[in-house]
Amino acid sequence: MAAGLAAPAFELEGITKRFGAVIANDAVDLRVAAGEIRGLVGENGAGKTTLMGVLYGMHRPDGGTIRVAGRTRRFDSPLDAIRAGLGMVHQHFMLFDSLTVAENVVFGSEPARGGVFDLAAARRRVARLAERYGLEVDPDSRVGRLPVGVRQRVEILKALYRRAEILILDEPTAVLTPGEQSALFEVLRRLAAEGAAVVFISHKLREVLELCHRATVLRGGRVTGTVETARTTADELSRLMVGKKVVAPQVPVHELGATVLGVESLEVRGRHGRSALHGLDLTVRSGEIVGVAGVAGNGQSELAEAVAGLRPPAAGRVLIGGADLTHAPIALRRRAGLAYVPEDRDGTGLAVAASVAENLLMGFEGEPRLAPRGVLDAEAIDARARGVVERYAIQVSHVRDPAATLSGGNRQKLVVGRELLRDARLLVVEQPTRGVDLSSIEVIHRALGDFSAAGGAVLLISSELNELMTLADRIVVMYGGRLVGELERDNASEERLGLLMAGAA
Amino acid sequence: MRPWRTALAGLEGPLVAVGGAVAAGALFMVATGHDPLAAYGAMITGALGGRGLGNLLATLLRAAPIVGMGLAAAVAFRAGFFNLGGEGQLVLGGLAGAVVALALPGGGLLTALLATLAALLAGGLWALAAAFFEIRFRVPLLVSTLLMNYPARLFASYLVNHPLRDVGSGLPQTERIAGGVELARLGAGGRLHLGVLVVAATVLAAAFVVRRTRVGYRMRMAGLNARFARAGGVDLDRLGYGVMFSSGALAGLVGAVQVLGVHHRFIDGSLTDPLWAWTGLMVALLCGSRPLGVLVAGLFFAAVQTGGFGMERATEVPRELSRVLQALIILFVAAQARFGFGGGEREGTG
Amino acid sequence: MDLLGLFDATLLGSLPRFATPILLAALGGLLCERAGVFNIGLEGLMLAGAFGAVVGSYFGGGALAGVGVAVLAGLALAALLALFAVTLRGNEIVIGIAINLLASGLTVYLLRSIFGVKGAFQDPAVVGLPIHRLPGVEALPFLGPLLSGHSSIVYLALAATAAIQLLLFRHVIGLRLRGVGEHAEAAMTLGVGVDRLRYGAILASGALCGLAGAQLSLGNVTLFVENMSAGRGWIAVVAVMFGRAHPLGVLGACLLFGFTESLGFRLQGLMLPSQLTESLPYMVTLASLFVFRARASRG
Repeated sequence: MAAGLAAPAFELEGITKRFGAVIANDAVDLRVAAGEIRGLVGENGAGKTTLMGVLYGMHRPDGGTIRVAGRTRRFDSPLDAIRAGLGMVHQHFMLFDSLTVAENVVFGSEPARGGVFDLAAARRRVARLAERYGLEVDPDSRVGRLPVGVRQRVEILKALYRRAEILILDEPTAVLTPGEQSALFEVLRRLAAEGAAVVFISHKLREVLELCHRATVLRGGRVTGTVETARTTADELSRLMVGKKVVAPQVPVHELGATVLGVESLEVRGRHGRSALHGLDLTVRSGEIVGVAGVAGNGQSELAEAVAGLRPPAAGRVLIGGADLTHAPIALRRRAGLAYVPEDRDGTGLAVAASVAENLLMGFEGEPRLAPRGVLDAEAIDARARGVVERYAIQVSHVRDPAATLSGGNRQKLVVGRELLRDARLLVVEQPTRGVDLSSIEVIHRALGDFSAAGGAVLLISSELNELMTLADRIVVMYGGRLVGELERDNASEERLGLLMAGAA
Repeated sequence: MRPWRTALAGLEGPLVAVGGAVAAGALFMVATGHDPLAAYGAMITGALGGRGLGNLLATLLRAAPIVGMGLAAAVAFRAGFFNLGGEGQLVLGGLAGAVVALALPGGGLLTALLATLAALLAGGLWALAAAFFEIRFRVPLLVSTLLMNYPARLFASYLVNHPLRDVGSGLPQTERIAGGVELARLGAGGRLHLGVLVVAATVLAAAFVVRRTRVGYRMRMAGLNARFARAGGVDLDRLGYGVMFSSGALAGLVGAVQVLGVHHRFIDGSLTDPLWAWTGLMVALLCGSRPLGVLVAGLFFAAVQTGGFGMERATEVPRELSRVLQALIILFVAAQARFGFGGGEREGTG
Repeated sequence: MDLLGLFDATLLGSLPRFATPILLAALGGLLCERAGVFNIGLEGLMLAGAFGAVVGSYFGGGALAGVGVAVLAGLALAALLALFAVTLRGNEIVIGIAINLLASGLTVYLLRSIFGVKGAFQDPAVVGLPIHRLPGVEALPFLGPLLSGHSSIVYLALAATAAIQLLLFRHVIGLRLRGVGEHAEAAMTLGVGVDRLRYGAILASGALCGLAGAQLSLGNVTLFVENMSAGRGWIAVVAVMFGRAHPLGVLGACLLFGFTESLGFRLQGLMLPSQLTESLPYMVTLASLFVFRARASRG
């Protein structure tokens, strides 16, 4: 492997970045050679995204130096980084849905004659670039209509169009099917072979071992090791990531009872009026955790929202505890025992400008204990809030402080804590640990387990296959708005789930 | 200590806005050849001083409709509804009040109450229509309420110019209402009337509802993040109807108070020319739609306006400077995003 | 009443005059909308233009000076709007409201400071916009009164519609503007100056609204009246929505709204109470919102 011998494409030396009191990066060194694919791994909050943000000019470092192709650089904005030959594929795509592929790729550096946009030239150049790197796209398609995998190719083309020699990809496989993933890997290998330096940020160790030449592990903002992937194992990497040997949690066996959630032939229209669910059938029983796997955008959110009452179904039925609540108002579903932890924490789960206590009151303001004769009892509300804060170890100095002052993990515990306060028999939970720190994940997972052990029914929608395989009794897989498979926990593996998620089985 | 800290944190923004506007206004006066110190001095005397506290009483009298319309706007804004239709709701309220007061035989307290009730209904229903258009037909409330001001104003103008015109006076106005229906004066000979107390009591009641009750909690949360409130089980449609009706009814109440307490008839333009609705709207924006804040900010804007009269008498500066100052204050308020509508951050900006 | 008889030269001739101020303001609103700025200050910008036009014409000795000052007044107020909306990142709705109230207060204040009058200002020294008669076209039935006999601002508005259509869909600036409005962050990561484009759009709306105001106070009449924009800026806001921020769609919406205004004007000539005929444009504008069906504004 020649990668180690080539000149470094970029070097980070002693990079330190603080956000207030939090040190996101602590004297980090990273040196990547031209032609190398480098994995950057670590748990959520380990500092991977911040480090790449520093390299890409999005954050100004508090200390350390950046060298690109041997020259010391200072990036005040991503534009400086782009000019120095960097390109980044963000986790959330930075694309214009209403524009075509060609327009998206050339945006900002358009071919033009006297200011008049030369669309023909743009299409020609994009087509040529796409062909050269084997990135199959139609330059004239509107980006909003393209599948996720193709959109990612557009992002890569954007970087290549700007002659990027260093390509950073932030969790690029999170939204891809296994087929799309191997196509992406082909492209990245080809780019590296042509001399590009590739940084692949991921927490999926298997992928890092498969794709990368070397992997650098971050933990708590520091580098804990850089290893040759050919000479390491997933176990060793995860030890570097977590700091101790990972023990698979003991999975309790659940006592299953009566059916709590019944979903029958459910049809739901999605955001663009297109059908998002096609006749879906599903049941969750008392004491059962049913996991829902699938690549984002295959109807999981619509399922959760239809059960929670945020999205009216076009046809079919939703039953909670045997009662038909298909078109019932949300308050009635809540009374029937529904608890809901939405995917969009700040947009749906919380009013971040409101206080912790006020956030914990939502949905309970009708209780006579908290609002006798319609008048709020501030003492009772605060006392109750302090109870939740204590039980879930939520880090906040006062329950009257705004929820906006809390970290992501604490906000998530706030939502979970509120929803589990109610006398619920069904919990619908989406992405319970996305962007959440390790200790909060532990608290949340334990809360879900306790709820189910006490006889609650859980519908768990997650993109973390590990989370599904450790918590769920059985896992159903969604593809194109349908259930395409179901695996008992004992039969589930990442490979089998991956095939189902791709709609291949 | 904490309640104090939050109260002070809430004041910082408005104070910065007022300071900024006063400074900008001073620059403006210097540019147009006036002495800002003399003008501001005359303004303060004009608002608070005067023989026998005459100016202060004038400020109080002026504050009643401003605070009332401020409350009308604040109730809607706090729950996240952009009601810009205060003017039309105010006019229809005043008109309905005058019509009922004139139409009912006898007069007296009962008639005054019925006239007020009619005003509440007229203002409330006009606002409710806009809520219905938004909820049922997704017609944006911000624009519909604003546009609905014009037909309301023109309709009232048509009535007092044609069918309801007091032919004897030769002016576009209705006949004078019976003496017994007029709101009682406070103290002999003064211009202050019972309506001032009605408005003050309404503000206190609204403050209690918004801060301390279940309904107020739902309003506040819907204003901060509507989707959060909906997912929690709040019926946003019902809340919207209730809030918009209340907002319009409060505007209608102000119409009745002005008609029964000040003009004693409906005069064309008498509720729109002083810009009560727009001043009230600015008051709500200045105080982050907090009801008690409406009282303070409303008194402040009333003082700026009566002060404007004093300034005009004492210096060469036209009193319309008050309107410039008020608008500048709101411009500075707008610069502080967290003092936008609903008194907090909007959905997704956190 | 003979309905067809309504469509006489008065009606047709007044249509372009009434449609033009709304169209110019709406084109400004359209540019802002495309750049991702919800500009509800059009009303105030137009009012500032109307006042500026009268000031310019009175002191500058002619309509051209009037138009110049109108554009400058629109630009100045728009610069203030841009400063607060773009640089200081304030709440667009509150800023729009403040700009409208500021324009209304400032024009009344300056009306008294400069001319010493209240309510309205009319003077022989205020020169109105000249009328252009198109030879050949003038004599045609229907088309004659429709196309001929208008101020240059009317023709300019049509040219501006075409120019903005080309700018948006053929020029690099248009592509960037559309991108900025759709996903500002993405444009920023590609080094496109989001703030600069937004300033440009807002300033352009100021100039266009200034022209709209000049048409109001020097074209349709030759005087300034307090709040003479009378909600036309808001009708323009609706025209942007109704025309889906597309120049040709906005042109259509403005022709419709202008037509209702001229119809009201025409009906007034038939001895209907002016209050009823004047409310016609607002009612039709309101009705058009039912067709438009805005994207749900709440959760």
